[in-house]
Amino acid sequence: MQLPGPQLAVLEAASATEKRTIAQLAAETDQEPTTLTGAAFELAEEGFIEIEEREEQSLDLTAEGRTYREEGLPELRLYRAARETGAADAPVGMGEVIGASGLEGGVVDIALSNFARKEYGKIEAGELSANPEADPNGDNEAAVLEAVGTGDASDVDPSVLDRLVDRGLAERSRRTERIVTLTEDGVTALMEGIEAADTVGRLTPELLTSGEWREADFREYDVEADADQVHGGRTHVLRETAERVKDVLVGMGFEEMDGPHVDADFWINDALFMPQDHPARTHWDRFALSEPAEIGELPEELVERVETAHREGVGEDGEGYHSPWSPEFARQLALRGHTTSLSMRYLSGEAIGDLEPPQRYFSVEKAYRNDAIDATHLLEFFQIEGWVMAEDLSVRDLMGTFTEFYEHFGITDIEFKPHYNPYTEPSFELFGTHPVTGELIEIGNSGLFRDEVLRPLGVDCDVMAWGLALERLAMLTTGAEDIRDLHGTLADLDFLRNAEVSY
Amino acid sequence: MVVVDVDFEELRWLTGQEGKSDEELKTDLFALGMEYEGETGDGLRQLEFAPDRLDRLSVEGIARSLRYQYGEDRGVHVPRTNSPEWRYEVAESVPEERPYVTGAIARGVNLDETALDSLIQLQEKLHATMGRDRVKGAIGIHDLVMLKGGAAGSEDNSIEYRGVEPDEDTFVPLDADAELSPGEVLTEHPTGREYAPVIADYERLPAIYDEIGLFSFPPVINGRRTELEVDSTDLLIELTGTDQWTIDRMGVILCYALAARGATIEEVTIEYPDRELVRPDLGVETKRLAHERIETVLGIDLATEDVIDLAERSGLDAEVTGSEEGSSSDGELSAENSAYEVSIPPYRQDVLGPLDLIDDLGRAYGFNDLEPRYPRVSTVGGRHERSRAERKVRETLVGLGFEDLLDFHLIAERENYDQMGLTAPDAGENATGEASETREDQPLGGAAPARIREPYSEDYEIVRTWALPSLMMVLENNTHRSYPQDLAEIGLAAGRDAGENTGLAEFRTVGAVLARTDASYEAAKSRLAALCRVFGAELETPPTDHPAFIGGRAAEVRIDGAPVGVIGEIHPEILVEHDLEVPVAAFEFRLDALR
Repeated sequence: MQLPGPQLAVLEAASATEKRTIAQLAAETDQEPTTLTGAAFELAEEGFIEIEEREEQSLDLTAEGRTYREEGLPELRLYRAARETGAADAPVGMGEVIGASGLEGGVVDIALSNFARKEYGKIEAGELSANPEADPNGDNEAAVLEAVGTGDASDVDPSVLDRLVDRGLAERSRRTERIVTLTEDGVTALMEGIEAADTVGRLTPELLTSGEWREADFREYDVEADADQVHGGRTHVLRETAERVKDVLVGMGFEEMDGPHVDADFWINDALFMPQDHPARTHWDRFALSEPAEIGELPEELVERVETAHREGVGEDGEGYHSPWSPEFARQLALRGHTTSLSMRYLSGEAIGDLEPPQRYFSVEKAYRNDAIDATHLLEFFQIEGWVMAEDLSVRDLMGTFTEFYEHFGITDIEFKPHYNPYTEPSFELFGTHPVTGELIEIGNSGLFRDEVLRPLGVDCDVMAWGLALERLAMLTTGAEDIRDLHGTLADLDFLRNAEVSY
Repeated sequence: MVVVDVDFEELRWLTGQEGKSDEELKTDLFALGMEYEGETGDGLRQLEFAPDRLDRLSVEGIARSLRYQYGEDRGVHVPRTNSPEWRYEVAESVPEERPYVTGAIARGVNLDETALDSLIQLQEKLHATMGRDRVKGAIGIHDLVMLKGGAAGSEDNSIEYRGVEPDEDTFVPLDADAELSPGEVLTEHPTGREYAPVIADYERLPAIYDEIGLFSFPPVINGRRTELEVDSTDLLIELTGTDQWTIDRMGVILCYALAARGATIEEVTIEYPDRELVRPDLGVETKRLAHERIETVLGIDLATEDVIDLAERSGLDAEVTGSEEGSSSDGELSAENSAYEVSIPPYRQDVLGPLDLIDDLGRAYGFNDLEPRYPRVSTVGGRHERSRAERKVRETLVGLGFEDLLDFHLIAERENYDQMGLTAPDAGENATGEASETREDQPLGGAAPARIREPYSEDYEIVRTWALPSLMMVLENNTHRSYPQDLAEIGLAAGRDAGENTGLAEFRTVGAVLARTDASYEAAKSRLAALCRVFGAELETPPTDHPAFIGGRAAEVRIDGAPVGVIGEIHPEILVEHDLEVPVAAFEFRLDALR
């Protein structure tokens, strides 16, 4: 059996029959008591020794006390000097007495006040007289000081001792005395023979540079113990999900769009062939702004073409809406209700110039809804928006694209529920099976942009598009039940710190 | 989305599918795009769908669609009508804001409790959708037996639509016991108060008269005299509104629903001062549809017979009209270049162009029977530069130990300014945005904000002008969580700027706070400097004053010589305002400074 050196020392110095203190062991083995204490506890854990703890009160001289023990209490030195200068017969000038005593600095004051207190003499008008009756050799404070100094203060007068403590010459302290006895296991282990092993707590630069590490035995840790909790920096879980979506889309050949959050209703709704009296364009649903209230400029010809589409439709026998249309409404500014406003800006050529098919674009950006906040709805949410522009796109292409996209998130067997949007036809709500619960859940909205949307924008080929709230995906992947824990200033840091990563 | 309450027993009866189980019906309805939402207290099933097919706002219309789906009916069906016996005369005095009227007579209606409820529901749903809450169109249905023709003092069997002064006349409205003038209805009757805003700007109020007197006050309320009862058999329907086409279509949908229950529809003559119409207009419109487009959109090959079959199963009719670009060389029409004339029944208000018809064909075919295919279109993907930069800055901040946050862009004005020691600009201030010059002198965050016109909540009334207020709020809401709380956010902020087309300069801002017992200016600066260093940007921090920071411990963030933000130790007063008991060091600057 091998044990670290200090443990072996304790084991060998301890006795099964005699109680020995750590201090005694330390004296015997010539090791630091702290080292031995640690070793003793480790041995006790192994069952080799028993440790008994005893509270002990100890008394020691302070540094000042030790000085006075050597040099004499200052008041006694003063008295002796006074006697030498003849102050027992007649008062002597203070300066002369102090000079004779050899006292200097702050000690002078200490000497003077205790001289007076102990009635070794009087100090009046700058002169000092000594009491001839006083006996400096019988000074009980000096006697107790000596007793404490030799470590034998068992029968001193407690009131005098208190005085010394008050004067800061002695101090009391409590300490725990640990008493060690060998157990039977310990005896057995000793008899079977133990070798010393050098153990090391922390690997230090010195150990490394000196090469001592080669001989070192690394003390075992309790590797199962809990460690301190740290919260490193980490990306927000919703951002993580957004990044993952972006990765997937870039991988599928989509390029990212960017554009204004506050935009004209023209780009948010009119260009999308949303009639101006559509219920979604009433004040409750949209985040209209009072300041700034209107956009500066809109592309005039495009506005005219869009208005014509609204009023008359597109194509030979196309029909428009029987709804009012005013350019003033189109100019009004609002926080975008969907990021499809970006798609309109890109498709029209307004964002980065005219686009030739084929193209794929996406964005994962915020959209705004003026609605009540609850566990699944916020005023702001991230919309995943994507579209493909090409000649002759079919519903099957749309289905294939979305099947591919959702498979990356573990959602298979998508169902396409025919749906209606003013801006796409055919339109589908996408339903998929929840990867965990197996429920059928809505996962997006999609369709082919209508001719009434594309032709005014100057797009002559087909464009299919889809949208989805990122939060819905995030709630699936993080298991969050209340969206407010995730997003916004009510966020719970603990939730964010402990949320499972997604990749 | 609209929700219609439907009695499944009625649905079975109207579709002739007595044997269908509830589950089968739900599946069939899902295929029509109608989702089962739940059950009402009265055992009616709630069906939710997108508001395109407004002819499905009643059990009769849903049954019609199901009959087509089951193949019980095919092609366009138009109810027979009898010639007009009643005339609706439109007086010169009619309110100019609501000049249009239309209607029909339905005779031999067999109204029981369920049928009456269904009719009232259809009326309400049409009001809510096409009628735009009665603004655009409103329906009144009356018991014809209680009406006496000859309103204009002219011939028998006429009613008159005219405009009246608020207190010109009186009548007993529904749910009332006393004679009230239209003006009194608007202030004293609950329904009147509800719809008063619709006609608030009207100079004269709309009113409909028969020989006996005022019996309808559209779009607000009918008179009690002509109220429908369960035993009513002959109905007079009148609709008024701001658009003739819209109210005509609403009327047609009602007529189809009543005809489905066995009623005979009788036309009425609408006599405007300058023209005469016969309504309901049950004319069948046609649209041209190219075969090739159908195949392209659905992604499948179809024979012309298939197209015709699908059309008929959608309640349409299709007839091959000829080739798109002449016939093929052998003189016969090939499917590829043929086209169809498609007949559209008058209850369809939603068909605007060819894609709407192709959508119908696709639904009849079964979209879920189509095989998905990945489009053979090759493009190269990539991130926007702004988004790449944002990601890198975020990664670097996370590496420096910051917890990445995501806060709302909307905020309370008080939190954005006052709580941070800034003075909130008055509404209207900087409206001209001449601020763009003086903005240099403003403390960070001090720009005038974009304001929501009608905020839902006072917690979200402006777009934030900087990010630190949001981060301080997160700290305030998380004082019970363990420290250190080193938080960072890259997000949108915006301030008024007349130089922008939208009048608003939107930008991404980088905000960071160190909330910890040893938070200090130096701790914040060392992190900011690390960030700038990896972006190869030169950071300078000349002293500055900012009300959110302790004097003498705040600096301007200058990146590559441009003033782009602020850094410092947050002022104790602001910490106390946010209930914080630890010091906070913070910085914020514009993301584009690092690009």
